[in-house]
Amino acid sequence: MNPLAKKYLRPSQIPTKACHGCGIGMIENWLLQAIDELGLKQEDVVFGTGIGCVGRQTFATWGGDNFGATHGRALAVATGIKLAQPERRILVVVGDGDAASIGTSHLIHAARRNLGVTVICEDNMGYESTGGQFSPTTPAGYVTNSSPYGMVEPSFDPCDVVKAAGATFVAETTATQWHQTVKVVKKALQNDGFSFIHVRFPCNENFGAYALGTRDTLKNLEWIYEHTQGRKADGSETDFTWETGIKHDASNSRPEFTRLLREMNARVQSDLADKMAARA
Amino acid sequence: MPPPSELVAPWVEWERRVTKGRRLLEAGTFALTEGAIAAGCRVFAGYPITPATDIAEYMSKRLPQVGGYYMQAEDELAGMHMCAGASLGGLKAMTATSGPGYTLMHDAYGWSITNEIPLVVVDAMRVGPISGITGAPGQGEFYIARYASHGGNFETIVLSPSSVQEAFWLTIDAFNLSERFATPVTILTDQVVSDMWEDLFIPDDYAGLDFVVPRRTNLTMPFFPVGSDAIDVPPNIIGRGTGVCVSAYTHTEEGYDIEEMEAQWAQTHRLVNKIRHHRSELTRYETVGMDDADVVAVAYGADARTVKTAVLEARARGLRAGFVRPITLWPFLDDLFAVDRHYVVCELNYDGQLVREVMRAAPDSRKVHFMGKSAELHTVGEVLAALDGVARTGRIPELPYIWTEVR
Repeated sequence: MNPLAKKYLRPSQIPTKACHGCGIGMIENWLLQAIDELGLKQEDVVFGTGIGCVGRQTFATWGGDNFGATHGRALAVATGIKLAQPERRILVVVGDGDAASIGTSHLIHAARRNLGVTVICEDNMGYESTGGQFSPTTPAGYVTNSSPYGMVEPSFDPCDVVKAAGATFVAETTATQWHQTVKVVKKALQNDGFSFIHVRFPCNENFGAYALGTRDTLKNLEWIYEHTQGRKADGSETDFTWETGIKHDASNSRPEFTRLLREMNARVQSDLADKMAARA
Repeated sequence: MPPPSELVAPWVEWERRVTKGRRLLEAGTFALTEGAIAAGCRVFAGYPITPATDIAEYMSKRLPQVGGYYMQAEDELAGMHMCAGASLGGLKAMTATSGPGYTLMHDAYGWSITNEIPLVVVDAMRVGPISGITGAPGQGEFYIARYASHGGNFETIVLSPSSVQEAFWLTIDAFNLSERFATPVTILTDQVVSDMWEDLFIPDDYAGLDFVVPRRTNLTMPFFPVGSDAIDVPPNIIGRGTGVCVSAYTHTEEGYDIEEMEAQWAQTHRLVNKIRHHRSELTRYETVGMDDADVVAVAYGADARTVKTAVLEARARGLRAGFVRPITLWPFLDDLFAVDRHYVVCELNYDGQLVREVMRAAPDSRKVHFMGKSAELHTVGEVLAALDGVARTGRIPELPYIWTEVR
C-alpha cells in the first residue's frame, strides 16, 4: 500500500468506487503528500466533501474526521465548524458542481469573509456521476449528454470569481501537474484564510467519451496537458488555453474571519465588564 | 368557580423553582432570543426575514456578550447548514426564519436529522402561500414542519408557544429536547407571538438553571447507534480527531455511506423510533374544562389566546365547552382527542391542516369541525358563535371569512 495512504487514509474506504482511470485518487494522493510535507496529523485536519464524483469518491477516505455535505453546502457547513473549532484546518474537497454551480454563493461568501478553509475544486468539467451533463466549467461548444449539439453557454473560471470575492490564495493546476499541485496545496494550507485551488482532471467514462471521443486515460490527460500549453503534440494551436499556476497570493494579508469574530467578542466582553464595574 | 384547567409542560415546575429574576415588558422575539441564550445557544446563523428578523438582531447583540457567534448567512440554506456545522463542532446553535426561508431549509433539515445533530429552528409563521402578507399571522407550516425534509423515514419534534413568557421557557425546552433526542427541534411561532409585547420574567442567573441539558460529546464508536431507539445519547463532535464521519447518505454506525437494505432498516429504526418510543417525554399541552365538555375548541399558538377566551366566555354562559391547546404539535398528541365529543378546530389557514390530524385521532371524524381563517386571529365572537352552533345544531353557522369545508 502507498505509505501515505497507510498513514492518512481509512483502510476500509479505499480503494474508492472511482472509475478506471479517474483522476480523483491521484489528486488525493497529492493532497496527502502536501499534508505530509507540512507535518500535519490526522487530527489536525477536518476533511469535507460534497456530492457527485468528487464528494462520493473521497468521503470517509480521510482517516480523521469527515463530513459529506448535501450538494453545494460544504462551505456553509465548514463555516459552522470553523466557528466552533477554529484551530482545525478544514480541507474542503469538492467538484465543479459543488463549487461552481449549486454552491457558488457559499463559495463567494466564504471567500469574501476570508474564512480559514482550503477548498480544492477537482473539476472534471461536467456532471459525470449522473452520466455526463455539462457544468459551468465545461468548455463552450463541447458535446456532453445534455449538450448534444455543443454547449451553448459560455463557461466561467471559478478562480476569477473567488479572487474577485476576496480569496487570499488562488491557484489553478491540472491532473498533469503533480509537483506544482503539491506546491500550491502546501501554500494554500499555510494561508490562515480562504484558499482556493482549481484542479482539472479527466473523466474518461463521460467527458472523455462524449466530448473528446475517447475513454483512453492517457489521451484525455494529453488533451488537458495540451490545453495548459496552448499547443498540441503536432505543433498546432489548441482551441483555448488554461493558464495554470498561482493566480493570486495574498496569504496571511488580512485576518481570518473567525479570528475577527473572536476579537470582536473579546472587545464586547471587556467593554461590558467595564460598564458593570462602573455601575457597581 | 373557574373550570378545571391543566397545563402540562416542564416549565410549570421551572416557574415554581426559579424565583430570582427580572420582570420586563418585552417582545416574543426577545423571549425566544433570551431563552436560547439561557439554554446555552452560542451560534445563530440566519437570514433576516419578517417577522423573525428581530431574533437575528437581538442575537447579533447578545451572542458576542456571552462569547457566541452571530452569522448573517447568504441565505437560509446556508444559515441552517452553518448551525449544523457549529453544532457538530460542539456549540449549541439556532436559526430563525419565516415561511419563505423555511422552505429553503429542507436540505439542511434532512442532513441534520440523519446525522443526529441537535439544533433549534424557529419558524415565525406568516400567512401564505409564498410571501403572502408579511405582517399577518398564519399557521400554514403545520405539516411542512413535520415533513421538513424529503425522502421520509424520520420523525420530527415541533413545539408551539402562545405567549411571550411561554416562548422563553419553550425555547429552553426545545434546546433540551434537541440535545436529548439528538435532532433538530422546530419552534412554530407566528407573527403575533413573535411581534407582541407582554410581561416577561427572565431569571437572573442563567448558569444556575439546573434543568438546562448541557452539551455532552461522544468521542467513540458507535457514532450512530443505528438499530437502537435510545435517547440521551451524547451527540458526536467533529474536529476532535475521533474519526467521525457524517454525510447525506444512509450510513453505518461508523457513519460510512452504504447501499444496503439492512443499513437502511437500522437507520430508519433509529431515526423514527427514538422519537416514537419516547413520545411520553414530549407531552406538552393546555386544556380547559375537559371533564364535562360536550364541545371542545382546539387551537395552538397565538390563535389559541382568543379561542381560550371564547371557551371561558361560553362556559360563563352555561355552555359545556372545553379547550385544547397542543403545545407539542409533532409527534401529534392523539390522546387529547380520545373522548367522543365535538371538536371545533380553529387554525389560521383555509386549507385545513391541524384539523386533519384531529379527524384522524378523534373517535368520530364527523364530529370534528373546521374553522379556518386567514391573516387575522379568530375573534372571541366568532368562536362563541361556532361553539354555540355546534352545541345546538351540530354545525358551525355561516360566518364571514370563516372556512368550514375541509374535504
